[in-house]
Amino acid sequence: MGEYSLLIILFAPFFGAIALMFVPREEALLVRMTAAISAGISLLASFYIFLAYDTTKGGFQFVQRYVWSEELGIAFYLGVDGIGGPLVFASAILLFAGIFVSWHIKDRTKEFYMFLLILAAATIGVFMSLDLFFLYFFYEMSVLPMYLLLGLWGSHTKGYLAMTNPEERKLRDSIGFIFNFGSNSKEYAAMKLVLFLSAGAVMALMGILLIYHLSGLHTFDIVVLREQAHFSDNVATLIWFLIFFGFASIAPIWPLHSWSPVGHAAAPAATSMLHAGVLMKLGHFSIIRVAFEILPDATREWMWVAAVLCVFSIVYGGLVSYFAKDTKYVIGYSSSSHMGYIFLGMAALSYISLSGAVIYMFAHALATSMLFAMAGWVYDQTHSRDIPSLGGLVERMPFIAGAFIVACMASIGMPGTINFIAEIMIIVGSWDKYPVQVVVAVLGIVLTLAYMFKMMRGLFYGKLDPEYAHTTDARHWVDRMPLLLLIVCSITLGIFPGHFYEVVRSTVEPMVDRINHVAPLITQNTKGFLP
Amino acid sequence: MTFQLDLSVADLLLLLPEIFLTLWLSLLLSLDFSLKRLTHQQLAYLSIVGLAVTGLILLGFDQAGTTGALFKNMFVLDQMAIVFKLIIVGATVLVLFMSMDSVQDFKFFRGEYYVMVVMSALGMMFMVSSNDLLSVFVTLEFSTFGFYVLVAYLRDDQRSSEAGLKFFILGVFTAGLLAYGISLVYGETGTLIFSEMTSTPGSYGLAIGYILIFAALGFKIGAVPFHAWIPDTYQGAPTPVTAFLSIAPKAAALAILIRMFYVSLASFKPMWALLFVVASIFSMTYGNIVAIAQKNIKRLLAYSGIAQIGNIMIGLAAGTKQGSDAIMFFLLTYLFANLGAFAVIIAVSQVMKSDEIEDYNGLNRRSPFLAAAMLLFLLSLAGVPPLAGFIGKIYLFIAAMKEELYTLLVVGLINIVISMYYYLIVVKKMYINEPTDPSPIHASMPIKVAVYVGIAGTVLLGVYPGPFIDWVVSASLMFSNIAGPTASASLLPGG
Repeated sequence: MGEYSLLIILFAPFFGAIALMFVPREEALLVRMTAAISAGISLLASFYIFLAYDTTKGGFQFVQRYVWSEELGIAFYLGVDGIGGPLVFASAILLFAGIFVSWHIKDRTKEFYMFLLILAAATIGVFMSLDLFFLYFFYEMSVLPMYLLLGLWGSHTKGYLAMTNPEERKLRDSIGFIFNFGSNSKEYAAMKLVLFLSAGAVMALMGILLIYHLSGLHTFDIVVLREQAHFSDNVATLIWFLIFFGFASIAPIWPLHSWSPVGHAAAPAATSMLHAGVLMKLGHFSIIRVAFEILPDATREWMWVAAVLCVFSIVYGGLVSYFAKDTKYVIGYSSSSHMGYIFLGMAALSYISLSGAVIYMFAHALATSMLFAMAGWVYDQTHSRDIPSLGGLVERMPFIAGAFIVACMASIGMPGTINFIAEIMIIVGSWDKYPVQVVVAVLGIVLTLAYMFKMMRGLFYGKLDPEYAHTTDARHWVDRMPLLLLIVCSITLGIFPGHFYEVVRSTVEPMVDRINHVAPLITQNTKGFLP
Repeated sequence: MTFQLDLSVADLLLLLPEIFLTLWLSLLLSLDFSLKRLTHQQLAYLSIVGLAVTGLILLGFDQAGTTGALFKNMFVLDQMAIVFKLIIVGATVLVLFMSMDSVQDFKFFRGEYYVMVVMSALGMMFMVSSNDLLSVFVTLEFSTFGFYVLVAYLRDDQRSSEAGLKFFILGVFTAGLLAYGISLVYGETGTLIFSEMTSTPGSYGLAIGYILIFAALGFKIGAVPFHAWIPDTYQGAPTPVTAFLSIAPKAAALAILIRMFYVSLASFKPMWALLFVVASIFSMTYGNIVAIAQKNIKRLLAYSGIAQIGNIMIGLAAGTKQGSDAIMFFLLTYLFANLGAFAVIIAVSQVMKSDEIEDYNGLNRRSPFLAAAMLLFLLSLAGVPPLAGFIGKIYLFIAAMKEELYTLLVVGLINIVISMYYYLIVVKKMYINEPTDPSPIHASMPIKVAVYVGIAGTVLLGVYPGPFIDWVVSASLMFSNIAGPTASASLLPGG
């Protein structure tokens, strides 16, 4: 049973989506229950692998390998290490919570849950792939459902005026459409997201194909490539940049981030949760899985690029969040800013900072998805995301207001939440190598505090507009459960981080040693790897 | 030169699928003339039965490993020919299923339509086996003859007649090019048979001859710069004929291209590989960019087809065994996705009476099944996992990567992103836009069969391609010289 856990986690949502095809459209409750049950199975199994991961052994565990094509050197190869495992767990939590958050979607419920399940399953697939082909396969597969989720169930952003009639578009306008950064329709957001991510993906694909061919091994197996692939310096640098920027576009690092807040703003709550929570981490994770594992020397040499760019991410995202007036823009840009911390932790390449970065991925997933879930609730009730026009909602929705405060605290990195541990680790671990960036990061935390409080005050305190007097709180258990689940996870792990830290450490330490050439690598097939 | 024909019954066995189909074709024609009460649907099903039997014979050959050459190597039945013949037979069967609704709307010659389709298929089956330039010419014209009639089948429709005329004039012109090219090659080499010209020294005459032949075949597959007829013909022809045109003649012409370049010109590989690199880059980029501006779904698929041919030519540019394997696999994926998409187009145009992309507004509300099917087919064409088209593209890219064709790869990868845009525009119309007329659309039974087969193929080849990849890998090309070390001879003297 235990060894098939990964297959269960991965295929439960897929089979849920297939089962949904046969559920009659009119039976809305049955549709929701099918989705919830398949996500629940996935959640339980991922909780099991999170607990059962053997921290003394480390490495890839729960491994499953099936040859897929001998001719092309592809195997369906699954396994998790201390980095993939927690992220699989986070994806399963967010999927489960997301299904309950979107319980009230009326329009084409069946399709919504099908696409949501496929999106989550594809994301989970990336976190457990040990084959470059399947890593790309699931990565690209996670992009397309986003288009439909945003386009169908999303919402237009305020100020949506330009390009309102895409029907009458000419070729010239189509090109303008791609580059028109001012347009805020949901169709625009969805298309921009897909094109940006596909462009990043094909760049990474080029890198993957170069690894496949130039390593001379003609295999996509990450474990084999990690131990046997050697590249000359120039080639390794080229591949590293393709992989880094290809995957960093989904992360998103500073100059490539513009699709992300637009996408967050347009997306329905559950999609934003998955998008900010785990989809963006696909970028960091894939960089760690591909660049850190296969190209350790290039990583050591070039990771300063991330350290430079992350400063812009942190400051730019923070400042935009502070001045933004749309709740989802605030949260979206704050995510984009917080991704900078992960890049900082990754760039410093020390035990503590990289562990901190991994824990931060998990922590940020929980905190941001809480915020998005509640921003979604407020939007559903008021049909507004405009902070200045809202206010005083605490009278109408005390539970949401309370949970929102907890989520803001988590996002800021209040002690007691898992975010605190992660932030401290990144800051402490990066100090030796990048003191300037650490100072900026600490200022970024202050900025986070400022915009989170500003948003909280704007939404929940002050005078209640009589227009919103009819709004209601989350009263039913269906509405409260996902928020409580996320809060409980965040605080429990914040108070008892021991096992989580051990899981991450068991993988991060050998990886950092290998990149920094600290200790000799004792594996069977390694020869001539060290100087 | 004395010419003697020594044939045994065992040799004729190799021709069994073609002989059977010829007899069946005669039966169909005579039944159509003699039995007035025979409806056209019954005739369609009879044709499908005949093709199914042909397909079974071919599968039997495939299992038994029957191969051989006839008529002094003019007719070759190797594993590769069997794969291509099965692709053509499969495409024809699907097209017949899709045709029944459209034929119902024809005013005259309903029965002859099926005979014409099966006749073209027969021509193409001969085409993929032809191993010399003369039989290339004869079979090519044989199969195209049926298409001249089919494209202009809607006599009262101006567009159909225009399409027929354009197709005919350009087709005849390329036939002239082909004949001229053949005569030049024959003059230089003194032989017509591919497997006998392998040791010919390079010369200008040979180079020009082969470029002319390439132009003629490029016309058939619709590669840039020989693509001009494609959009108008696709738009004007009856939709099932468009569907047929979009896959079967391309497969047959590709088989000849592979045979010609891999067998007779193997030693000049660096030169023709460059030719395909250039043609591929232009086809992909032109097809994808122009497709963005299309408003008619058939024109959109016409330009997308030009781009897909660009993708296929990546395999020829690689010029390796793996390249031709990848082409066969890609054609399989393209068969299901493209024919499936055309089946949906027929179902929608039966109700809307037009083929504009606008007609797809809100298709998801009018028919969730057709919208979901179209979504799968378009995403497969765009190359999105876990669908078949993705594996097909990756296979081609891997073949090109092994030959280190970096420029081609970069262009191919960028084109994936461009193509995503226009396929998603159709997806947007189907799912996001609201319909002007929300009445449901129902597809007829035969169309549904074609759509289901398309979905099954698209998903199966995407998630479980292993056996199919093994199948195309085992499909070897007879007389192939490509396996040896890459020769670096020049096609031009002193070059």
